[in-house]
Amino acid sequence: MKKTYLINDLVWISFAVAVCLGGLKLGFGSFHSPQAGFMPFLAGLLLGILAAVDLGQGILNKWERDKSDKVIWADIHWGKFLITLVALILYTYLFSTLGFLIGTFLLLLFLYQVMERRSWGIVLTASAVTTVLFYLVFKIGLDSQLPRGFLGF
Amino acid sequence: MDLFNFLLMGFAVAFDPLNLFYCFIGVLIGTLVGVLPGMGPVAAMSLLLPATFHTTPVASIIMLAGIYYGAMYGGSTTSILVNIPGEAASVMTCLDGYQMARQGRAGRALGISAFGSFIAGSMGIIGLVLIAPPLVEFALKFGPPEYFSLMVLGLTILTFLTSASMIRALMMAAFGLIVGTMGLDNISGLARFTFHIPELLDGVGLVPVVMGLFGISEVLLNIEMKTKREVFTTKVKGLLPTLQDWAKSIGSIIRGTVLGFFLGILPGGGAVIASFVSYAIEKRVSKHPEEFGKGAIQGVAAPEAANNSAAQGAFIPLLTLGIPSNVVMAMLLGALIIHGVTPGPLLLSQHPQLFWGVIASMYVGNIMLLFLNLPLIGLWVQLLKVPYSILFPLIILFCLLGSYSINNSTMDVAIMLAFGVIGYLMKKISLEPAPMVLAFVLGPMMETALRQSLIKSKGSFSIFFTRPISAVCLIIAIALMVIPLLPWFRRPRVTLEQEEFK
Repeated sequence: MKKTYLINDLVWISFAVAVCLGGLKLGFGSFHSPQAGFMPFLAGLLLGILAAVDLGQGILNKWERDKSDKVIWADIHWGKFLITLVALILYTYLFSTLGFLIGTFLLLLFLYQVMERRSWGIVLTASAVTTVLFYLVFKIGLDSQLPRGFLGF
Repeated sequence: MDLFNFLLMGFAVAFDPLNLFYCFIGVLIGTLVGVLPGMGPVAAMSLLLPATFHTTPVASIIMLAGIYYGAMYGGSTTSILVNIPGEAASVMTCLDGYQMARQGRAGRALGISAFGSFIAGSMGIIGLVLIAPPLVEFALKFGPPEYFSLMVLGLTILTFLTSASMIRALMMAAFGLIVGTMGLDNISGLARFTFHIPELLDGVGLVPVVMGLFGISEVLLNIEMKTKREVFTTKVKGLLPTLQDWAKSIGSIIRGTVLGFFLGILPGGGAVIASFVSYAIEKRVSKHPEEFGKGAIQGVAAPEAANNSAAQGAFIPLLTLGIPSNVVMAMLLGALIIHGVTPGPLLLSQHPQLFWGVIASMYVGNIMLLFLNLPLIGLWVQLLKVPYSILFPLIILFCLLGSYSINNSTMDVAIMLAFGVIGYLMKKISLEPAPMVLAFVLGPMMETALRQSLIKSKGSFSIFFTRPISAVCLIIAIALMVIPLLPWFRRPRVTLEQEEFK
């Protein structure tokens, strides 16, 4: 049993059902007068049918053509992966509050240390220089409206 | 005005100092992202899309197009020297290019790749000039049913060619259609799947979706990898292929060019498929197929020629029909719309300067690329030595700020991160992101065409089969969906998949 593919198909089927229900709620209309829910319902139906066929095929041939769960999830640096992801979510969440300069400097400081341990002096300098360069490109060069944050810069 | 005069006008546009500058920036960045593994032309184009808001539509399309065909050149460098394709269209170049590098022939592999790309790129542009204008006349006959059927055909071809499992590729296309319906309904003005979030009323943006699926997901995949790069840097010399090399490769280059160009035109086709098919054909027609995979120069020349001419051919459906044939063209479509230009049959008559200017800039860009890729090869090799631990924070930062700066909205950044995780999971279980993105872009157009057709026919689907162009497109699409069910077809697809796992 390859659980990854089983879960994958079940997730898609559930998602398709939710979309179909959402489509009906929006209003399907009729074939000669399609309404806002027409396309979402049809696309959801298509996805659900395809996922069900994929699931059926998988159960019948025991997913013999697919990679095993071990191959898919082996050798993953879960720590690095999750830390990076959390850092990115936090950065997005705090971007407006911290402002571009402080937020980006802290993010880079963190990311540069995640992959490889380096001396703090190098990391601090690299993060500061990169932040300033990005600020010059996006703020000065491209005139982007970067957030100033609670300190006002 | 005849073709010659149009081309002259195009060159006048291309040689405008501003356009020349943007062309150079485009091919330079294209080569850069082609060289660097983990960041393809799609991510780079979405990253630079906001930067083009400040310039003219012609200059911005010239730059974005330059990134695309520039990446085709640059991708080969990484394939040959590191055995990691810089972008997907260079996968086949790894097989023989890296072996040539190991045998001390890295210079010749890089040389034939650059010259082959140049020849193919130039011939592809000639094909574009000859085919696009007559196709525009033909496209004027298209109504909503024809557009709908053609888009169905495009999606079907893409799912047929790109994935080992057509069902899963179609699933991704259906997912793309669903994501494409988010936001206000074009016809009734009703909010769909917006969850009371005002930023979603305009729908999900193309840039955050593409950056997430192709940029962030790639970074997340690379973070978990333990592989070390081995770069062949000491033996990069003798970049000019010998007469013997030319004799061996010229046929492969021409075959790759013709094949790549027509596969590029095909909706759903593109550079990746072109390089795969041309490699397979070269191996089949070769008198020494056993040399393939062991450093055969034809194995480098053919796929490189094919992916470059396909890059030129892919512009035809976009410029003439307004339909993107692949994800990169979808990005260009987005850029054109942002600049207030509607691609399609009327583009040639309404914006001749843009049409011919972009085509002429490709000639200029190809010459720039030859000079960028051969004399400056040392610089690109040095770039390959930059550790990924330094590179990945920069890629992430470009993605974060690129998606933020479009609407100055952190919601776009959150959407990008969400699609980054979705893309990561999709790649883990070999689900293709390309059909999803193409369906996402085509979805709103398909929906409008479908609803207009049904209203016109009073709810009868026969409208799609009684009009000849539409019927032909749908019959081909149905045939492509049925073919994988046939027993004689199933065997080779399984074999291909097994090859992939090896």
